[in-house]
Amino acid sequence: MVDEEEQKEYRWETGYEKTWEAIKEDDDGFLEASVADIIQRAKRKRQAQKQGNSKLGMMRHLYVILDCSDSMSSQDLKPTRLLCTVKIMENFIEEFFDQNPISQMGIIIMHNKRAEKISDLAGNARKHIKAINNLKQTSLIGEPSLQNSLEMALRALKLLPSHASREILVVMGSLTTCDPGDINTTILNLKSEGVRCSVIGLAAEVHVCRRLANETGGLYNVILDDCHFKDLLYQQVDPPPAALTLESNLIKMGFPHQMSVEGTEEPLTMCMCHVDSTDEGSKLNTGGYYCPQCYSKYCELPVECRACGLTLVSAPHLARSYHHLFPAANYDEITYENQTVICFACQKNFSETDKQVYRCPNCTKIFCINCDIFVHDILHTCPGCATNLSTFQIAHNTTQ
Amino acid sequence: MNNLEIPAETTPEFTSTSETSLLVVIVDSNPSQKMLRDNPHVLTHCVDSVIAFANSHLMQKAQNKLAVMACHSKTSEFIYPGPNKPLDVRQIDGQYEVFTAVEKTIKHNLAKLLANEKSTLVTESLLAGAIAMALCYIARIQRTKPPGCRLNSRILVVTGSGDSASQYMNYMNVFFTAQKQGIVIDVCALDQHLSLLQQGCDITGGLYLKVPQLQGLLQYLLWVFLPEPPIRQKLVLPPPVKVDYRAACFCHRELIDIGYVCSVCLSIFCKFSPICTTCHTVFKIPGPLAVKSKKKKIKL
Ligand SMILES: [Zn+2]
Ligand SMILES: [Zn+2]
Ligand SMILES: [Zn+2]
Ligand SMILES: [Zn+2]
Ligand SMILES: [Zn+2]
Ligand SMILES: [Zn+2]
Repeated sequence: MVDEEEQKEYRWETGYEKTWEAIKEDDDGFLEASVADIIQRAKRKRQAQKQGNSKLGMMRHLYVILDCSDSMSSQDLKPTRLLCTVKIMENFIEEFFDQNPISQMGIIIMHNKRAEKISDLAGNARKHIKAINNLKQTSLIGEPSLQNSLEMALRALKLLPSHASREILVVMGSLTTCDPGDINTTILNLKSEGVRCSVIGLAAEVHVCRRLANETGGLYNVILDDCHFKDLLYQQVDPPPAALTLESNLIKMGFPHQMSVEGTEEPLTMCMCHVDSTDEGSKLNTGGYYCPQCYSKYCELPVECRACGLTLVSAPHLARSYHHLFPAANYDEITYENQTVICFACQKNFSETDKQVYRCPNCTKIFCINCDIFVHDILHTCPGCATNLSTFQIAHNTTQ
Repeated sequence: MNNLEIPAETTPEFTSTSETSLLVVIVDSNPSQKMLRDNPHVLTHCVDSVIAFANSHLMQKAQNKLAVMACHSKTSEFIYPGPNKPLDVRQIDGQYEVFTAVEKTIKHNLAKLLANEKSTLVTESLLAGAIAMALCYIARIQRTKPPGCRLNSRILVVTGSGDSASQYMNYMNVFFTAQKQGIVIDVCALDQHLSLLQQGCDITGGLYLKVPQLQGLLQYLLWVFLPEPPIRQKLVLPPPVKVDYRAACFCHRELIDIGYVCSVCLSIFCKFSPICTTCHTVFKIPGPLAVKSKKKKIKL
């Protein structure tokens, strides 16, 4: 089953051949259908498969398990597997928290047959990026132990409340794992706790990794090159469908506002997040966010109040993830027959080289392929629907 | 990349290795906004100020680019450069042809748009949608610029309307997109305080100004919004206001500081309710409450 899916994943590559035929020079001698254009068509196809998931695990708790065994010093990725992984991971962490605002991540490394937690479950991207960056100095030694690492992640994930979505992502360079016991027992435990485990292999297919992913409902892929690696990792940015064991809950949260009284000097105060840290920023300052329940001060959101336990977030922060649940409707690809002279959004003049144009099913406005990609990849709002009172609200409800 | 055509109507050429500023002005010309219903002549004053402001932007650097949009409740349109062929303009009283073209094109297209405006009762201008179009337009200019050229883009919204929570999702989407693309959103409020758009300025690093006196509009535009964002740090501009980032509950659209969030879709409610009205998830209800809630009819 998964084999089939994996093949489908890159079947679009074969679509490349045919599209070359579409390339021709336009009047000014420019190659109209560039390679970028072809890649965008492939993106579009993937986008089309995304729609219609109304139950997602939005409160994600993800443990990233990184291989730091000697296999990571291999130079098949440039400059080395580890350095390439660190670089791609940095961007991934930022994108992950951008798209999953109230989620948490933790990082475990495996080397010398042991698991080591380098970053606890937390919602602060900077802390994780720092931890990942420190790995550049780590000595890559011995064999990894997948079982030890999975057990360590499971111990932490088990404690989470029932509405928390639990996930593990393994990046594995080694083809072997050195385990103290039967890893199948661990896999079964992960399954029964509803932990979704995905694996990205850097070398070749490993049977136990495939079983881990299959059993727990995760994805298993082996990379082709660094671009493919990035692509596979970024697929983990989108929240997965909610696991069956996931319970739904209403969670009490605080939305602190910056307190300031006109005309008065704000007192210098110490924030709770830096109260026991000695590095940068641990000084008295004005401003900050105050817990609406107990008035503890924090300098960053989101955070869990250390004094009263209330989760503190800012409302726009939550809104960053609404597009996962209310995506802009997919456009229909139609043959261009002079329906309109210009793209509704970007004002590009359609010409003979525009074989296909894209029509929104709600507002029926017509767009160019670049706008189609931009709207569904980044903007998440249809410019046609959003500029007309009769369509601007239905646009987001069609998938419900 | 692809689409290397440069639209015929945008005259200022890019020169490679140069820095270019693209300014997109969104003018809310919806005739049913309160300010214009009270006094329709205000629109002429505002449009004249915006034209003078836009020309000042073009005057600052030969490579600077401009687009002007008009925003209504049923449509938003580019009124400069506009979809039509550029107007045939000969030099009049020593002005640069470009400046005359800007004025003529804007007034011509705006008059056409206003003539087609039939609905008079709808007061809401869909500014979030206009910003979405502007972002697509900027993305195209960004895509088609020659390599080596730097494009700094910003959007200025000039409006007398209020902002309504019904556009909340669209507003947030355009703010985050602008932030990601490094596009600054400036807002010049003419009549009412705009708390959502103010958040947009804060998120994208733009400036928000509610003009104290409409007669002085041009001066405010030139003083506050003409300098490019990198230069602004060195100027004395209105101090940043603390932005209210409290959440508006989905049930009453009221600002709250403690609320309940659905773990499935992250909708915010001010009270505990047994079912999420957004994603229709039924929540676990603590024991004794479960019996009580049966009596209540749940409206979806
Ligand atoms: Zn702090
Ligand atoms: Zn507290
Ligand atoms: Zn377009
Ligand atoms: Zn639409
Ligand atoms: Zn409410
Ligand atoms: Zn919900």
